[in-house]
Amino acid sequence: MKNIFKVVGLSLALFLSLFLPLTAQAEELTGTDAVAFSLPGENKQTITLNDYRGKVVLVDFWASWCTPCIRSFPWMNKMLADYGDKGLEVIAINMDQEKILADKFLQRYPNKLTIAFDPEGKVAEQYNLLGLPTSYLVDRNGKIVYRHLGFRLRDADDYEGKIKQILVQ
Amino acid sequence: MKLTVLMILILGLSGCTSLGVKPWQRDLLAQPVMQLAENPIENGFDDHTYFSKEGASGGGSYAGGGCGCN
Amino acid sequence: MQLKSFANISLSLAVATSALTGVNAAETSPTIKVPDTWQFDAGLLIYAEADDQVQAIEGALSAKKNLDDERSIALKVVIDSLTGASPNGAVGQNQVQTFTRPSGNGSYTVTAGDTPLDDTFKDTRVALSAQYNQQLSRLWQYSGGGNLSKEYDYLSLAINSALARDFNNRNTTASLGFSYAFDIYEPEGGIPLAKASVSDAINRGGSDDSKQTLDVLAGITQVINRQTLMQFNYAHSKVSGYQTDPFKIVSIIDNNGWAQDYIYESRPDDRTKQSLFWRTKYMRQPSNQVLDVSYRYFWDDWGMTAHNIDTRWRFQLQDRHFIEPHLRYYNQQAVDFYRVYLNDGEVRAQHVTADYRLGEMQTYTFGLKYGFPIADNEFSIRLEYYLTRVTGDNSLAKGAGLSGIDLYPDKSAFMLQSFYRF
Repeated sequence: MKNIFKVVGLSLALFLSLFLPLTAQAEELTGTDAVAFSLPGENKQTITLNDYRGKVVLVDFWASWCTPCIRSFPWMNKMLADYGDKGLEVIAINMDQEKILADKFLQRYPNKLTIAFDPEGKVAEQYNLLGLPTSYLVDRNGKIVYRHLGFRLRDADDYEGKIKQILVQ
Repeated sequence: MKLTVLMILILGLSGCTSLGVKPWQRDLLAQPVMQLAENPIENGFDDHTYFSKEGASGGGSYAGGGCGCN
Repeated sequence: MQLKSFANISLSLAVATSALTGVNAAETSPTIKVPDTWQFDAGLLIYAEADDQVQAIEGALSAKKNLDDERSIALKVVIDSLTGASPNGAVGQNQVQTFTRPSGNGSYTVTAGDTPLDDTFKDTRVALSAQYNQQLSRLWQYSGGGNLSKEYDYLSLAINSALARDFNNRNTTASLGFSYAFDIYEPEGGIPLAKASVSDAINRGGSDDSKQTLDVLAGITQVINRQTLMQFNYAHSKVSGYQTDPFKIVSIIDNNGWAQDYIYESRPDDRTKQSLFWRTKYMRQPSNQVLDVSYRYFWDDWGMTAHNIDTRWRFQLQDRHFIEPHLRYYNQQAVDFYRVYLNDGEVRAQHVTADYRLGEMQTYTFGLKYGFPIADNEFSIRLEYYLTRVTGDNSLAKGAGLSGIDLYPDKSAFMLQSFYRF
């Protein structure tokens, strides 16, 4: 039995060593100006963030292979339908490395979101993305007010509340 | 001796921090065929056969990898 | 026949990773299943050894469901049935041999030159397991569960618990898992007295005995690059209790190679097993072929060491068909107390076994798996050939009794498996 304790002790030591802060954590962007970007969209359009100044923009990063992203699409569509006339815009930035997968996905799940493509991750890098999906709520002055990591159905109402709040500011 | 191995392992693990991909580059890793336990029933059959017919046992585990979402 | 129970830690965190974050997709056209319904996996295994040895059929059904965004459960039932004969540990002779059945009821004879096989093993086993997974927070995962396995003369109960935590932008996952199992063996005829002669009037002890197993598994999974995933595990297992096979015997051979007696084997009550395991999964681009290679080094305090290498290569074909060749090589050294037979008159050590499964052997598995969708669900079929080469000192085939006898008979088996996910 003593051996088991040695093993567990050693495992814990090695495990804790992984907590050593040897990589800089990506800084939290809330409160800063949303980094401007200009990305290709559907139908040969170009999507430029600054064009949406004066609107509340939900900048969402997603990919066709990400299950929670798939669950977030119907919700984002609903937000756009409910609050689009109150000044909400949704820009869904696709991160697929193979565009054909993104195209197939969009055909399968028709939506009214504004789609942009960032396969090289240049914009994702600037937004310090920690995982997919991630969405940033940008207010009418171009400031990031909220970051939402992941997508969970039970958080949806909460998130909707925040959107409504920012819309009336 | 054990302490040396431990130090090497810790330094090695710290080296792990430089390996890896960005969160949006996990498209291939997210595919079912790249999961560590892609067919648990098949793993169960194999484990059962080899544990019954051979002297050694165990070793595998299946956490990690995948899409890293949520 | 004792079917070894094993820790379920290995599969517990699998459900956590795949059910909550993975995509039920094929390579080029993601088929996104609604994740909150039950997902079923069914499998069938038919195992058949050459020369009328063991035949087994095993069926498994598992059901998984996401309870919400963070939690899921998995239930599994396995039923298997074994028939056929298995080597009883005695060596062949250049004369007919007669053995009493382990139950004490009746006997069987073995032709001169043949390896003694006992065909008493007709047994059916049912195993149930339940596993619960929860994502505790963005970076922490928990998995816990239990399983129960019952056959006519054997009962196994086990629980398991594991934690995993992601680091380095989720490129590194460290996991630590425990498993505890309690097994009770009640062989027909009772527990044989260690090293007692089969012909002794009183050679049985109690009616049952038990053993406990404690497993610890520590693992690191590391994303190397977009196409490559690696895993390193260390496993430590402590088994205490009855580990002898009550149906196995050892021949007592005289100077001329003739069997004078047979005694029941005896294995130690304690065994500490350890293993180091390394696995790599690599997806080639642009073909999307996947190479899966793993290596395990095993050692224990019974003197056994074993190596095995397992490789699979998946080739994606048209329309979600695939073909996957499989190669496995396993090599084991004998335990310290392994003897192919004992000499008449020699001083006997405390423990002895003639069970080839604890002896020196190499096994080779050659397999091919083919998969295709049926009604948009994944179906696959796998055919494997499993060859066991038992090796040892051939000079021990001495005297008139053993001349020409194969002391280390090889074993061949075919395995046919099929899987359906729906």
